[in-house]
Amino acid sequence: MSTPVTGREPRPTPTIYEPSLMTVVDLVDETVDTRTLRLEFNDEGLRESFAFRAGQFGEYSAFGAGECTFCIASPPTRAGALECTFKTVGKVTAALRELNVGDTMGFRGPYGNWFPVDDWHGKNVLFVAGGIGLAPVRCVIWNVLDRRDEFGDVTIVYGARSVDDLVYKRELEEWAGRADVNMVTTVDPGGETPDWDGRVGFVPTVLGEVAPSAKDAVAVVCGPPIMIKFSFPVLADLGFADDDVFTTLEMRMKCGVGKCGRCNIGPYYVCKDGPVFSATQLKTLPPEY
Amino acid sequence: MSQERQTDAAPALFLAEGELAALVDELAAADVEVIGIVEAAAASPAAAAADVLHGRPALEYRVLPPGVTPLLGPGMPRLSLKGFFLPQTEALFGWRQHGADVGIERSAAATRPRVALGVKPCDAAALEIVDHVMNWDYADDPWNERRAATTVFSLACPVEDSSCFCAAVGLAPDTARGADGLLTPVTGGWVVEPTTEKGAAFVAAHAERFGPAAPALVAEGAERRRTAAERVRANLEIDADSVRDWIAGHFDDPELAALGVRCHGCGACAFVCPTCHCFDIVDETEGVGRGTRRRLWDTCQTGKFTVHASGHNPRDDQNARFRQRVNHKFSIYPLRFGEVLCTGCGRCSRECHAGQDLVEILGAIDVAARRPEAAVAAADGGEA
Repeated sequence: MSTPVTGREPRPTPTIYEPSLMTVVDLVDETVDTRTLRLEFNDEGLRESFAFRAGQFGEYSAFGAGECTFCIASPPTRAGALECTFKTVGKVTAALRELNVGDTMGFRGPYGNWFPVDDWHGKNVLFVAGGIGLAPVRCVIWNVLDRRDEFGDVTIVYGARSVDDLVYKRELEEWAGRADVNMVTTVDPGGETPDWDGRVGFVPTVLGEVAPSAKDAVAVVCGPPIMIKFSFPVLADLGFADDDVFTTLEMRMKCGVGKCGRCNIGPYYVCKDGPVFSATQLKTLPPEY
Repeated sequence: MSQERQTDAAPALFLAEGELAALVDELAAADVEVIGIVEAAAASPAAAAADVLHGRPALEYRVLPPGVTPLLGPGMPRLSLKGFFLPQTEALFGWRQHGADVGIERSAAATRPRVALGVKPCDAAALEIVDHVMNWDYADDPWNERRAATTVFSLACPVEDSSCFCAAVGLAPDTARGADGLLTPVTGGWVVEPTTEKGAAFVAAHAERFGPAAPALVAEGAERRRTAAERVRANLEIDADSVRDWIAGHFDDPELAALGVRCHGCGACAFVCPTCHCFDIVDETEGVGRGTRRRLWDTCQTGKFTVHASGHNPRDDQNARFRQRVNHKFSIYPLRFGEVLCTGCGRCSRECHAGQDLVEILGAIDVAARRPEAAVAAADGGEA
């Protein structure tokens, strides 16, 4: 059955499915298959007015290939451009990787909820991330560091499978060099190189060894499901309450605006009620994730 | 986008059989598109072949060609009316590449007025139910434009067969929900009752086609409607609130988890469903440097629907996917939007090759929910 398009004139205003056009202004290869794009809105008004909160995501278009969902990896405290970091795994990410500086792509967003950073005034903040899971966490890290005097101690525990798989390598060095950041970098056993001077061990194990205090502290955790699963008990042992532990969920999405039904899990639409969830909320989810 | 209701019931009108063709002609002359139920065989040799197979003519909603009147009698179209509001595929916008730049070409809005005459009440009610998800935060313009452009008259249903269960989900075979008025078949024509301002305006615009309904005809219609309501109640009666709470609290229940054991995962149930609204968004290229972004019907019954880029799939077997279908319709949607995502049309049961039957399934859940321990488990937040 085909339904004829009954209108004759194009819509005067965009629908919620029409992306804003952006131009690639810089790109960085983080690893052999992971790239960061720095994007600027073509529309000058949007460049000025675009605002978001740490943890929100967007739908990124490679015209001809489709759309992909990534968090905004740059912090809201640095306006003017936004960054996304993605691994080349499918059709759209492969097409996004084809883009060069100066090329046009599309963006819809910001969508979803955010980390309650404003509620963390005066608290110690612990970041735990694995692999490309550092991308959403990086947004929060920079947001906190750009407002450094509002928070207590900042501890970052970050690991990847191997030295090559660590993303944002220049920033890892920058954070390690700061006196006001306790930076711990680790790689999985076997992933180290001869000149590796970080730790060797899985993120949850290293987190237990570092044993940051849970007193007046919140934790932001993001990484592969297996890392999240094993990090939660470690945080609980350290004394972190479930309400003070936050993560951001990956779910396959298409619309990003609570319509297409894809990211529905338990009572939640991850695109609307998430992607940021507390450990308390996660424990109410059906055991599907 | 709930339709505004008239508070006072207007006196019933009568549309005589002989006036139907003139009404349709009048609409065509006014450049109004008329949607109605027709025998699909008239339009397609494949449908004609299927009719031989099934021993009865297949019905479908169609935009009526000139001179064709809609069927205003018994019979259930195979597909619901949904496609006229959320088409199987629609262009969201076009794009053109000019060197490094891209230009976006917007699609046309649905502005031409349409009238759907003789819609199954379960199909019209679905529109109002799906309105929730299309507008709960971001407004879905293509859906809303088509809703606004369309006047819907439902046709009181005689109840088609044992798969009908609209009464079990809080509707009735003569509900005017989601419609702008109701037609009730009576001797020699139809009793016409507009229920919204849009419906009243439609009747007023074609006043010469409608006469006053004689009290005897109104009584005849009421009796038919009463009998139909009784028939459908006999098919299935459940306590939808208990079913909702039981599903929410029994995610790991072996019965619920095993529901999909016969399911092939073909997704036919979702495609024929008037309330299933999940969709995919894809780019269709047209040569080099140009293309169209489209939205298409999709279904939670395929594995690809939820598979992550990493390969992890939260619903990686058919039981989990079928459970999601039941869960979304009878627990998640009511918890979120206050009513079940189902109008009891029975199409999913009629079309299922594997014999999955929602009447049976809901009946079984209802029985489980009535067990004394179910109430306790639901109060404890379930066993999960």
